[in-house]
Amino acid sequence: MPDATFLDSTELVLNMGPQHPSTHGVLRVILKLDGEKILGTECVIGYLHRGVEKIAENRTFAQFNPYVDRMDYVAAISNGLGYCLAVEKMLNIEAPPRAQAIRVILTELNRIASHLLWLGTHALDIGAITPVFYCLREREEALKIFEKYCGARLTTHAFRIGGLLYETYDGFEKDILAFCDWFLPKVDEYEELLTNNRIWVGRLKNVGILTADECKEYGVTGPVLRAAGVQWDLRKAQPYSGYEKYEFDIPTRQNGDTYDRYLVRMQEMRQSVRIMRQAVAAIPEGPIMGKVGKVIKPAVGEAYVSIEAPKGELGYYIVSDGATQPYRVRVRPPSFVNLQALDRMVRGALVADVVAVIGTLDIVLGEVDR
Amino acid sequence: MADEQKPEGSPTPPSAGGEASQPPQKPAAPAAKPAAPKPAAAKPAAPAAGGHAAPPKPPATMAATPWTSDLAQELKERFAGRVLETSTYLGQNFIVAKPDSVIPVLEYLKLEADFDYLVDVTAVDWPKRAERFDLVYILYSFARNERLRVKTYIPEGYKPETAVTVHLAANWLEREVFDMFGIQFAGHPDMRRILLPEEWQGYPLRKDYSIIQQDQAWVRENLEIESGQ
Amino acid sequence: MKKLLNKIFLTDLFQGLWVTFRNQHPKYIYTEQYPAERPKVAERYRGAPRLNINPDNGETLCIACNLCALACPENLIVVTSERNEATRRKELTEFTYDTSRCMFCGLCEDACPVDALELTQDFELATYTREGQIWDRQMLEEGPKPTPYKC
Repeated sequence: MPDATFLDSTELVLNMGPQHPSTHGVLRVILKLDGEKILGTECVIGYLHRGVEKIAENRTFAQFNPYVDRMDYVAAISNGLGYCLAVEKMLNIEAPPRAQAIRVILTELNRIASHLLWLGTHALDIGAITPVFYCLREREEALKIFEKYCGARLTTHAFRIGGLLYETYDGFEKDILAFCDWFLPKVDEYEELLTNNRIWVGRLKNVGILTADECKEYGVTGPVLRAAGVQWDLRKAQPYSGYEKYEFDIPTRQNGDTYDRYLVRMQEMRQSVRIMRQAVAAIPEGPIMGKVGKVIKPAVGEAYVSIEAPKGELGYYIVSDGATQPYRVRVRPPSFVNLQALDRMVRGALVADVVAVIGTLDIVLGEVDR
Repeated sequence: MADEQKPEGSPTPPSAGGEASQPPQKPAAPAAKPAAPKPAAAKPAAPAAGGHAAPPKPPATMAATPWTSDLAQELKERFAGRVLETSTYLGQNFIVAKPDSVIPVLEYLKLEADFDYLVDVTAVDWPKRAERFDLVYILYSFARNERLRVKTYIPEGYKPETAVTVHLAANWLEREVFDMFGIQFAGHPDMRRILLPEEWQGYPLRKDYSIIQQDQAWVRENLEIESGQ
Repeated sequence: MKKLLNKIFLTDLFQGLWVTFRNQHPKYIYTEQYPAERPKVAERYRGAPRLNINPDNGETLCIACNLCALACPENLIVVTSERNEATRRKELTEFTYDTSRCMFCGLCEDACPVDALELTQDFELATYTREGQIWDRQMLEEGPKPTPYKC
């Protein structure tokens, strides 16, 4: 009998996205399936590509600053911090201590806001509806503080090269402390809802495992790396903006699965509160703007500066040819690099796990596509 | 911006003012347009030439100082004649390797010197130089807590070998370099565009690539109107 | 036994309902009744641009220095001025601001040396046409006039 008469079980190609609600934006994943089992994936990205790096070449250093907020718009303040630090490195200056402390507070608050959005949407993907309302409610308070501080909630443009433009408003410290006190019990509340929830554990445990070696191989950073047992956080490894002054732990877990990444991020929120409390208690007096000329013109040269963004290592590689505009700005986006590991994480898993894994990678398509 | 083709876009501010001050509704749209040419006039060497104002004088070079350490010494010995430079600038170390020895250097750094994390692969375009592109690999070592940049200078059309064989992370990063600069990596498993659509013309991050042209062509074709840029 | 009683009297259900009920307290309401109630934005909110007028003599504060236009990353500000032969000073003739391209970064207001250009707390900027997004000097001085919502 010729082979062709056998019932042919070919693989099924399923298109997920770009408008699928649980691909967190405009990510398109082409899944090759054998029944429910995933044989391979291919990510199609770029739907949100705006050519940020090209825009940078046509803007002055100060003018490019608002654009970086629009990459990872969930953590705009971290983006701004990375960019400002990179240009400050090129200029060989440092922000004054007061500015550094305020930067740390806002960045940590932004980390909480980013993690909250991650938790809410991730839980929503898995099927838990309640957390998203809780999380957005808490995030709202953080965004209110941003709005009070710099006049914008999301794309904040809060920092300037050399320091800060805005002095803290009256009651800033009080607001932050009140947020910390109010927020910590909320984290416990989320944990109560999720950590031991049977569905939650069943959906996340042993899903999307990425070992420490695989993480390094793929360049995956951030909570994903820490959940695999590598105690590495740029805030500790190569402290910037005065992070060495604050006491905090790097939460790690050993299994490297989706559940561990969830636990790591929950711990990180608590650690962020800890840092914020210490920083608020010790905001030094003094100027908030360093010695930066009206025209920012770094010497010919290049620098790579990276920070620990909520998603992982966010780096800026800037090349200057001595003009007022950067010759080249390269952004090393954590989401883009982390997303590359998706294929490894879901191969052999089920379709429903793809949703869980995309959620746990915590990607923001604005940053993946730039 | 300087590619403005419309006659009313002539860059002198008075004429732009004449446009803008006309009260009826229709000129309200062109009123915004002179905004583009004006700054271009202020920064004379801007986009038209290469998308970037090149400094008029021969470019000053980066004030890098030699980098001396055991690793630098070892690299120089092991790759004699192939690692051209070990330098440091602003406290950041980098080495310059010959294009064909980048992969052995990366391999050595990974296996022998613990630089096991490829942070980024990127390129920089220098159209006036004989070797047109800088290809930059940024490495990090968890064990040493150190960063290192491996640079190489390649001419146009040169196909550097892929780093995917050493670091899997290079896959998408090299695809992005190809997408933006048109540098083909030899031996790469999947050398396609990644961020831009397949049918895209040109390589956007090259200095001779004008954003305005592409935008105008796209708007004309898809919206059938003249671009407002 | 206790388990059985719990089951009969639906303890879990009432516990859950109590949580829901507790959260009904007006203190926990976060929804804004937007058109009916305008939200209060922060003092530093960066919203609609405004060209300030000197309250004493009704003249514009703008000195037509063009710094805002140069600072703007999107090149959306056009300032035109005329030299007044009598006073030998530059005087503002026209000022256009394209809010459709504005990202409200606030760089123009930082650049302004005389605090003439300012981003205000107005946030209702929607219009029916693209042209309506391009604000001229009069619009910038008077500010947007959104139609008030009537229930």
